[in-house]
Amino acid sequence: MGDAGTIQVPRASRRRNVPRRANAAGSKRRRELLLVWVFLVPSLLVFFLYRVLPLIWNLVLSFQEFSLFGATRFIGFDHYVDMWNDDVFWITLRNTLLYMASAPIGIALALAVSLMVNSEVRGRNIYRTIVFLSYPLMTVAVGIIWRWLYDEKVGLFNFVLRSLHLVDQPLPFLQSFELALPAVLLANVWQILGFYMIILLAGLQNIPQNLYEAASIDGASRRQQFVRITLPLLRPAIFLAFVIGIMTSFTSFDLVYVMTQGGPSHSSELLVNYIYRAAFELSKVDYAAALTVVQFLLLVVLTWLGNRLSGGDAGAVESE
Amino acid sequence: MMSARPRTAIAPARRYPHWPIHVALLLVSFCMLVPFYWVLKTSLTGENIFVYPPSVWPVAPHLFYYVDVWYYIPFARYLLNSVMVSGLAIGANVVFNAMAAYALTRQFRGRGLIITLLLSCMMIPFQTTIVPAYLITGKLGLLNSYLGLALPTFSTIVCIFVYKASFDAVPRSLIDAARIDGLSELQIIMKIMVPLSTSAVATNVILSFIWSWNNFLWPLIVVRDPQMQTLPLGLSRFLTYHENTTGALYAFCIMVLLPGIVLFLLAQKEFIRGLTSGATKG
Amino acid sequence: MKAKGVVSRALRNRFVMVPLVLTVVIGGWNAYIALHSDGIVRGRVVTTDGAPVAGATVHIMEQNFTTNSERGKVVTGSDGRFLITDNRSHNIQLRADKAGMGRSEQQVVRLFFRAQNVTLDAPLVLPTPPR
Repeated sequence: MGDAGTIQVPRASRRRNVPRRANAAGSKRRRELLLVWVFLVPSLLVFFLYRVLPLIWNLVLSFQEFSLFGATRFIGFDHYVDMWNDDVFWITLRNTLLYMASAPIGIALALAVSLMVNSEVRGRNIYRTIVFLSYPLMTVAVGIIWRWLYDEKVGLFNFVLRSLHLVDQPLPFLQSFELALPAVLLANVWQILGFYMIILLAGLQNIPQNLYEAASIDGASRRQQFVRITLPLLRPAIFLAFVIGIMTSFTSFDLVYVMTQGGPSHSSELLVNYIYRAAFELSKVDYAAALTVVQFLLLVVLTWLGNRLSGGDAGAVESE
Repeated sequence: MMSARPRTAIAPARRYPHWPIHVALLLVSFCMLVPFYWVLKTSLTGENIFVYPPSVWPVAPHLFYYVDVWYYIPFARYLLNSVMVSGLAIGANVVFNAMAAYALTRQFRGRGLIITLLLSCMMIPFQTTIVPAYLITGKLGLLNSYLGLALPTFSTIVCIFVYKASFDAVPRSLIDAARIDGLSELQIIMKIMVPLSTSAVATNVILSFIWSWNNFLWPLIVVRDPQMQTLPLGLSRFLTYHENTTGALYAFCIMVLLPGIVLFLLAQKEFIRGLTSGATKG
Repeated sequence: MKAKGVVSRALRNRFVMVPLVLTVVIGGWNAYIALHSDGIVRGRVVTTDGAPVAGATVHIMEQNFTTNSERGKVVTGSDGRFLITDNRSHNIQLRADKAGMGRSEQQVVRLFFRAQNVTLDAPLVLPTPPR
C-alpha cells in the first residue's frame, strides 16, 4: 500500500472530524444515498417485475377463476381440489421426483471424474474441457442430438445394442412407457456432468495438501485418505452441487419438450412441461398458476430439507 | 483451463501408475464426444440417413445440408433475432449489474436487506414465474418484441455478486484518493472500478450470452410471430414441421451450437470462474 | 511508438483476433458470392457414345424441401452445349430429352449458394435411340 495507505481513513469518521463542513457533508451524503438507489433501481425493477411480482400474482391467480378476456372471480381452493383429483398432476409430480435422480447419479459420476482430472495425469486440462464442453450448449439442440441417438431404426444406441446382439428387436426408447423418462434423464446427466465436475473440482482444490501428506506419513491407505479426508472436506461442494442439481432438474423443461413432448401419454411429462401445457396450450392460466404455487412450495421444502440434512452448511455458503 | 495446482496429489501419484486413469478418462471423453460426432456425421452424410446399419464414417460427405438450412428456412432472420436479444441482454447485464454491485459496495441503510432480498430472489427459478411473467409482459405491450424477449434477463443476481467481489477487491484508498481529486461517482466507476475488473466484465458478458442464447422456454412463451423467433425456437419448429426426415435438421443443430462452442473455447477461464464464484456465492 | 504497441497487443488478444479473422472470412465469402452469382450453368448433352447432341431440350427443375417444380428449359447448340443464364436456386435438377432420342436421367446439381456460376463436369447422357 505504501503512500496510498495514509489516506485510508474511514469516510464516516473523517466527516465527523470536520464539523464545520457538516452541512455540506450532509447534502453530499444525501446525494450519495440518492446515487446508490438510482444505481440499484434498474436491477431491482427487473427482479421485482420478473421474480417477486410473479410469485405474488401466482398465489392470487391460483384462487381465482381467470380468463384473458372475461372477468375474474374469487373461487377459493377450487383449483387445489381439482389438482388433488387430477391424475396428470400426480403423474407429472412423480416423474419430476424420479427425474431428480439425475442429481445424485450425475454427482457420483462427476466425483469420480473430478478425482481423476485432479490428479497429476498429463493432459488433464484437455480432459476437463471435453467433459465440460456439453454444459454450455443449447439444451434444445442437445435434445435433438439425443433424439437422434435414441432413434428406433438407425439410432446409435440401437445400432450398438443390435451389433452386440444384446437385443433382437430395436428398442423404441422415446416411444416406450418405461424407457422414455430414463432416456431423457441420461441425456440430462450427459449435459450437466461437466458442471458438477467444476463445482467438485473447486471443492477438491480447496482441501489443504498437507493433510494428505500427514496422512500418508501416518501410513493411511489411499482409500482411508479418501474416506477420512476427501469426502468430509468435500461435503460442502457436494451439497452445493446437489442443491443446484435438484433445482435445475426440478425445473427442467427443454429436453422433455424436444425429445418426447411428455409422451407417450404423460409417461415422461415433467411438472414444468405440464404447467406450460396447461397455461399456453389448454388456456387454463389460473390452474397453471395453482400448479406453480405447489411446485414452488415443494422446491422450498426440498431445499430446506437438503439444508437440514447437510447440517446447515449451505446457509454458511449462501450468506457469504 | 482452471489454474492447476502445482503440488496436486503427489504422494498417491508416485505409488500408482497413470495409465489406468488415462484409460478411464479416455473412456469418459469418448462418451462425452460421441454424440457430437454422431450428429456431425449425420449432417455430412450424403446418402440416405435412414439406412440400417448406419455407417460409422460419413458416406459421400458433402456440405449441402448446411446450404439447405441457410436457404429453406429463414436462418438469417433467426440468427439476427438471437443476436439482437443476446446483445440487449449482454449490454444490460454489463451495465445494470455493475451499477447495482457498485451501490452494494457502499454503506447505506437497507443494504443488508437488499442483499438478503437478492439472495432469496435467487431461490425463485424463472420456470416458476412463467404464467404471471407472460401476463406482465403482455400488459407492458412487449410480446413479440426484442425488449420483451430480453427484459427478464436484463440483470442477473449471480453476476451482480461476481462484480461485487471484484469491486470489493479494489483498494478503498484508491477510491478515496480519486474522490479527493474530484472525480464523480460515474467517473470513479468508469476510470477505476471497471478497468480493474475486466475479468468480471468478461464473466458477465459470457454468462449472459450463454444464458440468453440458449434460452428456450421464455421465447416459446412470448413469441408467436414467426418473424421474431430466435434460433432455439426455429430449431424446435423445424423439428415439428419436418420431424427428422432430413439431415438438414442436424446441420441446423451444428450451426446453432457452433457460436456457443467457439465462445466457450475462447473464454473458458472466465466462464468457469463465473460459474464457480456464482455457485459458491449463493 | 506506444500506439503501435497497443495495436499489436490488441491483435495478439484472442478476443480481438478470432472475431477479426471471422469477419475477414465472412467478408471474403460474401465478396466471392457477389462476384460469382450470375445464375450461369454450363453443361453438355451427349449420346451414350459421347457424341454431342444438338437441339436437345434441357429442363431445369427447382428443388425445395418437399416440392420439385419446373423452372424453364433451354436448347443445346450445335456442339451439344447448353447455357442457363437465369438460375436462382442452389439446388436444381437437370434433365435432357430430344424427340426420337429418349430422355436422360435427372442430374442433381447442388450449389454452395444461390445462383452460383457452375460448369458441369458430367454431361447429360441421352440413351441411344431405339431401333
